[in-house]
Amino acid sequence: MTSDITTPATQPVHWDLHYDIHLGETWSRFMDGLREQRILANECGSCARVFVPPQAYCESCFEPVTAWRELPSEGVLEVFTVAWHGFRGGPTPPYAIGGIRLDGASTLLMHWVVGAEFSETGDVRAALPFGTRVRAVWSQERTGQILDIAHFEPVD
Amino acid sequence: MPYRAAVVGVGITEATSPRKQTSSTPELCRLATERAIEHAGISPDTIDAIVTGNIDGFEGTVLDGKNITRALGIGDTVPLVVINTGGTTGGNLMQVAARMVRAGTHRRVLCLGGPTFFGSVDLQSAINTNSPMIIEQPLGMGAYHMGAFAASAYQARFGLTPEDLAAVVVADHEKASRNPYAHLRYTVTPEEVLAGRPLASPLTQPMVCPVSTAAIAMVVGDAADADAHSTSPALIKAIGMSADPYLGGGKGDFSEMQNLANLARRVYARADVRDPLDDFDAVEVFAPYAHMQPMQLEALGFAAPGGGVDLIRSGVTDIGGKLPVNMSGGPKCTNGGVSGELAPYAYAALQVMGDAPPDIQVPGARRTLAHGTGGSFFQFENLAVFETLTRSN
Amino acid sequence: MHAPIGNPPARRPVAPVHIVGAAATAFLPEHDAMPDELVFAAVHQALREAGLRQQDLGLSVTASMDVLDARSISSGLTNAAAGGYLRDAFRIEGDAGLAVIAAAEAVASGDVEVAVAVGVHNPETTGTTRDRQAFLQQISNLAFEPHVDRPVGMTATATYALQAAHHVATTEADAESLARLAAAEISRGSGRARAVRGAPATAADVLASAPVSWPLHELMLPAESTGAVAIVLASPARAGRCLGRDARITGLGHATGRYTWAGDWISDPAAPTRRAAADALALAGPGDGAVVAELSAPTPALHAAYVDALGCADAVVNASGGVLSNFPGLANGALRLLEVLDQLDGAAVGARGLSHSVDSITGLVSQDVSVLVVEAA
Repeated sequence: MTSDITTPATQPVHWDLHYDIHLGETWSRFMDGLREQRILANECGSCARVFVPPQAYCESCFEPVTAWRELPSEGVLEVFTVAWHGFRGGPTPPYAIGGIRLDGASTLLMHWVVGAEFSETGDVRAALPFGTRVRAVWSQERTGQILDIAHFEPVD
Repeated sequence: MPYRAAVVGVGITEATSPRKQTSSTPELCRLATERAIEHAGISPDTIDAIVTGNIDGFEGTVLDGKNITRALGIGDTVPLVVINTGGTTGGNLMQVAARMVRAGTHRRVLCLGGPTFFGSVDLQSAINTNSPMIIEQPLGMGAYHMGAFAASAYQARFGLTPEDLAAVVVADHEKASRNPYAHLRYTVTPEEVLAGRPLASPLTQPMVCPVSTAAIAMVVGDAADADAHSTSPALIKAIGMSADPYLGGGKGDFSEMQNLANLARRVYARADVRDPLDDFDAVEVFAPYAHMQPMQLEALGFAAPGGGVDLIRSGVTDIGGKLPVNMSGGPKCTNGGVSGELAPYAYAALQVMGDAPPDIQVPGARRTLAHGTGGSFFQFENLAVFETLTRSN
Repeated sequence: MHAPIGNPPARRPVAPVHIVGAAATAFLPEHDAMPDELVFAAVHQALREAGLRQQDLGLSVTASMDVLDARSISSGLTNAAAGGYLRDAFRIEGDAGLAVIAAAEAVASGDVEVAVAVGVHNPETTGTTRDRQAFLQQISNLAFEPHVDRPVGMTATATYALQAAHHVATTEADAESLARLAAAEISRGSGRARAVRGAPATAADVLASAPVSWPLHELMLPAESTGAVAIVLASPARAGRCLGRDARITGLGHATGRYTWAGDWISDPAAPTRRAAADALALAGPGDGAVVAELSAPTPALHAAYVDALGCADAVVNASGGVLSNFPGLANGALRLLEVLDQLDGAAVGARGLSHSVDSITGLVSQDVSVLVVEAA
């Protein structure tokens, strides 16, 4: 029934959307800290949870969060995955993304982890056990973005 | 508030890959709608609202429900509600529809889930736009990269092996092979799963869902109108949703699904479920990646922490077992986006209606559980309990 | 109780729902804030006003749009800010009026005692008013059907202009009369705290503003702003234990217009408003006519048709100046309701108000209309 149709079944459609994302005061301050090689967290005055990245409010207490503190750039690598396969426009694989609990933080900070050779066939934990202590390595050029921390690496 | 809501009709299209699909998104949506209406045995013009889902960044459209639902032949100016909560959108469609009916403002509501991922050239790239912008998005995370965090943490805590993950995949494919609406209908061996291309440790390609194209529609109506339908409706006994914070780092422990476990307690209490393994006759969970099903079964109270794989390996979750799980083959074998999220609800309802495809119908099923999950790092969970509603005639 | 299903299905009684809190952020050309921060500010304040806590919430419903928020599944970001952490919550991609309705239905269903609906609108773009408008129209264009309507440049503004052109061609209205109507709206709202067009305007001012698409000028179109508005709802018994304001939603209606091909959005643009109003008024039952009404006419060419469809000719209409004074995009439905609540404050018990809102995603095409009937309690 459709054999006489000659137009291809699909047509390319491309989106070209440019966004300017408003950081708001809380993340602007966090980004200011990164430029100065400082990791700024904030702390809920009601429940004492410490958030990094900082949050304007505590979702649990439902109160604004206003108290700031600086955290050390070291912590524990609680979990990570090695991306063997990435995606169009993304980082070049393989790359390891980890959840890092900075000392004193209630939340995990997600970032890249380097300093181990991973094998596609084996268990990646053989090269880098969960629970390893890691520290932030700062980028030479810092412009107020999360990649001002270049990555985390194991503490010797 | 004397109204109760029930699923009175379900329509599912056959699924295939985007490359092999010959129908357009509007055509698939219309076919699913026609099948749901026909199944319910109702006239299209008695539908008084439509609830659909769009996840715009994953689609090539913005709110395409605004044009697609206007061409379904369901009357002029019918109210349309568009929901978007990512992977829980499908479950939310039914939740919103059920509340409309339970409030009495509407009497018959169409839930429509389309082929969300149809047309995206690199889906993981599209899904990266859901990774928390500014902070986590630059790190390069698509859906399975986020999923792999839970797999890694679960593996570290409970000693999950690649062979365990393969066993889950083998079981899912075996089930999908019997579902005429499933996308991946071939069976696989553990060796094939283990030999698959590594994607994000510890997951290989065969351990993650395909990109499917399909549509699913469901009619939710007033349970008291049961005699007006040609089906034995599935009473929506209890519904609920629960949410974690946005940032992946706000989850705390990736090795167990605490948010889902919390929700299960709440929903089970509403449905008076006391012993989940005894009280449910079939379960459909949204487990697009192999590690998710055992973790979800644990959070839902069917197995102790770390015991999910043993439950699956024991045969309890196969057809004929004490608790058939994902008789449809689940999203591991068919994932069309919002249609894939609506699927657990559609199949769980069909089970208690007695109208599931014959080879996957659980005989005599009277109470079933459906589940959805999604959002950044699977931050959202939702559940529904269905029960058979006997017609008076 | 259960009349046979006909076409349309028979209407049935719906339990009343109370409004116990309502709050808004400031309305600015653009906010330097994340969408969730705006949501939190509005919800936090609205709960405070009612003497409630997040833990009292049974449901949170947010209205926002991914493509404006620059994030797929932006509800992942805003959900916790709406009070949804470890709780029941979902997001509607549409006008906040629909979120209010969904939250009200959850309360009326008996499933929850307290629910919040919040609309947030702060498109992630920066620049001049004209830049921002261009961005909004680009998004609007993407929301049209991709193969037929998108390539020819359909936008919300295009639909408004097509209808206005038809209106001028088929009625006694002309550019001058449209300008007078627009000037009256802007001037009425101009002294109010929430107005974003702060100065009164004359018909000459309107005609002297930038021509947008014949016969429409800039000042005939909504006064775009950004912000968030939250409405807290409760069951009657729970409302009795709340602080702050109290009003009752006695009727609600929602309709969605037809798509481009139908054409009636040009010749009969009030059709979805008529359906939504009929449903809402039928639910509210017989009573005195509304004393106040807030209606959302994106252009003066729609004003009379909406007044007629809502049957509110005898009410004080748009004391706030309506959307020509302040239109916070997807938060509009909640803002119109907030305006009605403020105007009913101090009115006799049972005094009725009407809140009417429309979305502007695809303009008059597939237009979402919500109508709420509110009574002073």
